[in-house]
Amino acid sequence: MTSPCPDAAGPVAGAGWHAGADLLASYAAGTSDEVATWSVEAHITACGQCRSALSAQADPQRLARNRSVLLVRTALPDGGRTGRLVRRCGVPDHLLRLVAATPSLRRSWLLSVIGVLAVVTGEAAAVRYGWIRASGPRRLAGYPDPEVLAPFLLVAPLLVLAGVAAAFLPTVDPAHRLAVAAPFSGFTLLLARTVSALAGALVPVAAAAFLLPGPGWLPVALLLPSLALCTLTLAATTVMDPRGAALTAGALWALPALLLAASHAPLQIVQPDAQFACAAVLCVSAVVLLARRDHFEWG
Amino acid sequence: MTLNMRTAAIRVDGLSRRYGATRALDEVDLTLEQGITGLLGPNGAGKTTLLSILATVSEPDAGRVSVFGLDPREAAERVEIRRRLGYLPQELGYHRHFTVAGFLDYVAILKEITDRRRRADEVARVLAATGLERRARTRIRALSGGMRQRLGIAQALLGRPDLLILDEPTAGLDPEQRLRFRELLSGLPGDPVIVLSTHQADDIAAICPQVVVLLQGRVHFAGTPAELAATAAGRVWVADARDPHAHLSWRGGDNRWRHIGDAQPAGAELVTPTVEDGYLLLSHAAGAR
Repeated sequence: MTSPCPDAAGPVAGAGWHAGADLLASYAAGTSDEVATWSVEAHITACGQCRSALSAQADPQRLARNRSVLLVRTALPDGGRTGRLVRRCGVPDHLLRLVAATPSLRRSWLLSVIGVLAVVTGEAAAVRYGWIRASGPRRLAGYPDPEVLAPFLLVAPLLVLAGVAAAFLPTVDPAHRLAVAAPFSGFTLLLARTVSALAGALVPVAAAAFLLPGPGWLPVALLLPSLALCTLTLAATTVMDPRGAALTAGALWALPALLLAASHAPLQIVQPDAQFACAAVLCVSAVVLLARRDHFEWG
Repeated sequence: MTLNMRTAAIRVDGLSRRYGATRALDEVDLTLEQGITGLLGPNGAGKTTLLSILATVSEPDAGRVSVFGLDPREAAERVEIRRRLGYLPQELGYHRHFTVAGFLDYVAILKEITDRRRRADEVARVLAATGLERRARTRIRALSGGMRQRLGIAQALLGRPDLLILDEPTAGLDPEQRLRFRELLSGLPGDPVIVLSTHQADDIAAICPQVVVLLQGRVHFAGTPAELAATAAGRVWVADARDPHAHLSWRGGDNRWRHIGDAQPAGAELVTPTVEDGYLLLSHAAGAR
């Protein structure tokens, strides 16, 4: 079925063979098996001789259609190394493609998250090390300057929440009307985008928390409030407008964070009592979200 | 108003929709059959609202819609309508970093075409149908307005839908592209239901066996293009000078004045009305009310 291809160049034709007449005939007739089809398609992209031989056998319209399909396949992104790695872990290809369209995974969005974190972390570091003079009393058992953490504690979970909200808010997704009018499960799309947005936002938040002059457990302590806020928002979208859900959840974090900061005890927002409260919110929200997933309407 | 029909694919009964104090749709009754229906009306007439309700993107304040006998108020039936739907919104947003092929692949997944090979086949088919084959690798942000519109049409054709809802599909297309678009719609296999809105009366005359004129949220006409043109019969004249008593007057490319009115202007000759004449007369009458 094949013959050597001594002058072939490139990664495919470099395998050193030409497709035989039988193989090309079966490919042209559409009767070749899947492996042979892929093999021929990969080969003819780099071998002009076999393309010519094929065009002599094939119905021109069918050939043109096959070439178009081939061009489309090569034009589609494969997600790079990360995409291939995630696929090897069993994540379906189509879910990966949906995740790639998550608005809050865009470089501009991630850069703005990192920018905000850099400002609040820099401010905390500057106060802590005396580059900027802090006002007000400084006290908290074990930590010399708890107030310097207040802006970060306020902002960090809200940034994660904003990333998740941006993953499904109509105003942020340019093609949301297509998603609304499509039959694909809105709930599946929501979860896929949420997971990717969470991963995208939690990494810089945790990194900034490590850099802060605060307690070493701070990065871990921020995880639960962030997850609780996001899950609360998703659960709330099954009963109210998505924008209202995100704003409500944001306010539920911002108000106590600001009150505790005003009373010079900002770290209370991530202390054990608050962690228990966040765990409870997370559990209840997850149950509500699962129970009401059919009520979620994209857009 | 009801069209004379073979099979009712879409039924709309008493459909109303308000945006604040503005009444976008006012008790619209409509029955649409297989084939192409053109929705004609000025900006703000309610065309986009009606199409977005038919596409299950918006909900009416009152009234009922039935698409292929399915009720979009029921979640399961709404999904079934969406499985058979191709939709081009008036302002389709794009993920601008996507390539043309990547965007179509994304929309194909939203249409539940999850098999990679089948998706590639479908994307190649609609690219060929819209003449975008050579642009498969081009990023959307690098496309011209006309090409983006063709991309919008291409995504609507994915999955060979039974119902195509196209909101101003010819906006931004040059004359040659419009011609190709007409050929594309006329040649679609399977006799799908196609509802398209447009400002272009000549698009309607060229490809739509049925036309609906929507003015101020109400259906003012439903019938064939020939019947719409006939509403202006005996009321369209061409003259060398402007007639101040005519309802509407404009100068054509031949430098002569075309008048639509009740009385014959001096020295004018009666001409056969076009679809545009019929539409303009209806619009004028609705505005005068």
